[in-house]
Amino acid sequence: MSFSRRNFLIATGVAAASTTVLSACSSGDKGSTDKNVPSMSQAKTVNIPVGTKADSTGPAPEVKGAVKGGTLYSLDQFDMDHMDPAQVYVSTEGAISRPILRGLTGYKVDDKGAAVLVGDVATDAGTMKNGGKTWTFTIKDGIKWEDGSALSMDDVRHTFERLFASFVTEGPRYVQQWLVGGDKYKGPYDGKHLDSLEISGNTVTFNLTEARTDFNYTLAMPGYSFVNKKKDTKEKYDKQPFALGPYRIGNRDIGKSLTYVRNEHWDPKTDPIRNAYPDKYVFQFGFELVASTDRYIADKGNDQYAMSIFNEVAPERMAQVMTNATLKKRVLTQIDTVTYYWPINMTRIKDLKVRQAINYAWPHQQLQTIRGGAASSALATTILSPVTPGYEHFDLYGTEKKPGGDPVKAKALLKEAGKVGQKLVIAYQASDTAVKSAVAIKNALEAAGFQVVNKQVDKSTFYTQIGKVDNTFDLFAAGWSPDWPNGYSVFYPCWDGKNIGDGRSNYAQLNDPGVNKAIDAAAKLTDVTQANKAWGEVDRQIMELAPVVPDYHSIRNWMHGSKVGGAVYDPGNTCLMLTKLYAMK
Amino acid sequence: MLRFLVRRTLGALVILLVISAVTFWLFYAIPRDPAMMSCGKNCTPDMLKQVRHNLGIDHPVPVQYWYWLKGIFVGRSYGDFGNCPAPCLGYSFANRQPVLGTILDRLPLTLSLAFGSAVVFIIFGVGAGMIAAVKQGKWQDKVASSGSLIASSLQIYFVGYIAMYFLVAKLGILNNPSYTPLTDNPAEWASGLLLPWLVLALIWTANYTRMSRSQLVETLSEDYVRTARAKGLSRRSVFFRFAWRGAMGPIVTIFGIDLATLIGGAIITETVFSLQGVGRLALKAVDQSDLPMVLGVTLLSASAIVVFNIIVDAVYALIDPRIRLA
Repeated sequence: MSFSRRNFLIATGVAAASTTVLSACSSGDKGSTDKNVPSMSQAKTVNIPVGTKADSTGPAPEVKGAVKGGTLYSLDQFDMDHMDPAQVYVSTEGAISRPILRGLTGYKVDDKGAAVLVGDVATDAGTMKNGGKTWTFTIKDGIKWEDGSALSMDDVRHTFERLFASFVTEGPRYVQQWLVGGDKYKGPYDGKHLDSLEISGNTVTFNLTEARTDFNYTLAMPGYSFVNKKKDTKEKYDKQPFALGPYRIGNRDIGKSLTYVRNEHWDPKTDPIRNAYPDKYVFQFGFELVASTDRYIADKGNDQYAMSIFNEVAPERMAQVMTNATLKKRVLTQIDTVTYYWPINMTRIKDLKVRQAINYAWPHQQLQTIRGGAASSALATTILSPVTPGYEHFDLYGTEKKPGGDPVKAKALLKEAGKVGQKLVIAYQASDTAVKSAVAIKNALEAAGFQVVNKQVDKSTFYTQIGKVDNTFDLFAAGWSPDWPNGYSVFYPCWDGKNIGDGRSNYAQLNDPGVNKAIDAAAKLTDVTQANKAWGEVDRQIMELAPVVPDYHSIRNWMHGSKVGGAVYDPGNTCLMLTKLYAMK
Repeated sequence: MLRFLVRRTLGALVILLVISAVTFWLFYAIPRDPAMMSCGKNCTPDMLKQVRHNLGIDHPVPVQYWYWLKGIFVGRSYGDFGNCPAPCLGYSFANRQPVLGTILDRLPLTLSLAFGSAVVFIIFGVGAGMIAAVKQGKWQDKVASSGSLIASSLQIYFVGYIAMYFLVAKLGILNNPSYTPLTDNPAEWASGLLLPWLVLALIWTANYTRMSRSQLVETLSEDYVRTARAKGLSRRSVFFRFAWRGAMGPIVTIFGIDLATLIGGAIITETVFSLQGVGRLALKAVDQSDLPMVLGVTLLSASAIVVFNIIVDAVYALIDPRIRLA
């Protein structure tokens, strides 16, 4: 699942808030802690194949040892900004909406964490025609809303048409961009329908402007979950969406708590994804990372049945938790799909040797120490994360051999280019960590012969500023997580020349015909293995042009109480998978 | 008295009007864009324009301020988001709720935290200060003075976490901090807030101990106190009828301001103890550039300060007959 601007800010804010303490404690504990965290070599690519029709039938496979009943609690920092599926984009919102919302497709995960794409409300993961320009899905029988009424084809049409309404500003926009006529359509509230969305019996057909061989993966995003047409209250739907999953909202006190209770009308035979073991979920908000970690460590009362969606192990407690075998058993550790990197403005820094010099001089290790050491991040040498399908390991600029940077090599390249003393304007968001990182970067680059000017930019306007084509920065901090697990959702939005423009996400302004062609070609491949290989090659092709400095992949550690079972990773939302959890007796 | 209250209330309204205008202006003076916070990952200039329209921030600032001001008296409509009846302090698009409703929802916790801890720190603080003043130079004075010096040097984010670690996690003597409405279950209300009260009181008690000691020591050496003693009044009578009343003036002033500050939002305390009061609300509102909520919480804090100042001035006259309300 992806980062919206807000989630990106929150996530980086959390890292920022924690690393001051962590960097201090890591000096003493680093050795012992680092042995207990995953290394890049341990990272396993999360390949998600398309399942068969049989895979799409319910009920979901049982979790070994799971029992039904009880209540699970959460200890989290923030409430969800959105619950209207059309507005849901960030991973935590996706994860928390999973037990109540259902879409056409979704990820079926077994108790070991292996995932497959299946039909959720659809009978299978969809049928592609016309090279990927037409997709058809058939709706299962017996899908019911929380009031017992059946999911109608009107609901199906309305769900996708309302994505175009003016109040929908934060959800994913892929389907809107790809549906024929979507550029002119303004939503269903004036009584008009979108012709490219065809309903016939219990099938829905999407007619797209371009071939999208992975369209069924796109539809697995929680942002494309169903909305009940009769209960649609437009903006107000965000407060209390109508449930189609095994749970419904029992009570919501915005910013404080959210309770899910069972949806009696949900039929497990129709659902291959959700297990629904606990009777109730009580999500509690307002807990700082230290507070939630301390409560997990203490493991008393209801906290034994608690888990977190957003809150990870506080960096201040990382050494304590990771070096204690009993506590560590209650931590789910996963390298994230997001890669944090520093795009280099290709419009301003045109010389390849200069961009390569920046990569060689980059102080990866110093920055990792500032972030809190190897317990919370792994050094990046590629744009794709090691867990994203298509990832290919390579290290073009010697990061692994010289993680502290190679100023000699960098200076030599600058000399060859005749650019010693090249001025670099670096933009970063205001935070403790960012300020420290900016100093480390400035020192490293200046040692290599650059002249560096650091500019701190307010977080609310950061992406607006770096997203302007005529911005005055040479290098800026950014990050991207794929919206579904393949290379397309990384390379097309961020590295294809078609996405250069004000407010677009090709921040480096890379417009290389070879790269554009390779992205187009990889996107058309229907064979997953071939496509993944192609995306790995695109990654290398881009890195050879050095339009970016890959910085790190974050390592996430979610702790839970001793009586929470079934903790597995949700590859769709990069969080704990709520629907596999159970409360132990 | 009535004239005093009317005059001060009118003055308070002017102050609150100025504060709201300044807050409004300051919010737009800083280089932040609230619309960006509500525009998704694939935000385009068109979408940003739409978000600005949805948030109602596409009007000139004075017009927006006028709409906000008008809403307090006549209410306001937010289109598809719903109506906000008077007194409408605005609609928080971040919380999807009217500002006043959200503040009123969080206020009972903050009031419980403020008044509960105030009871503890005023009783223990002034009590310890009185003992130290009466036993000036003796061991009781030394313990109270040095203890208050140490306690006043501590910070809530330090003491709070340590207290939670030992008293809740390790020893299990106290419950995890939580809030249950007083009317629902008074026992749970008190047990859930006991730890925050004690930690807040520990730090604030120290200030009151030092302040009341120094005030009492000074008052006890005043001529009128010596005269009372010379007239043969009992020690207790001299202390409570003359010295104590004379010393309480400055303490009441500070207490009024401290209590108002706590009601305005004990941000650090609420954060440390994971309590969802007005302080946390303010913090989140600032982080999300949620202007209506920032304005609402600022007005609440300012109102608390203004109201408590009026109360303090009235109480002055009661405890010190030399002061007349004019």
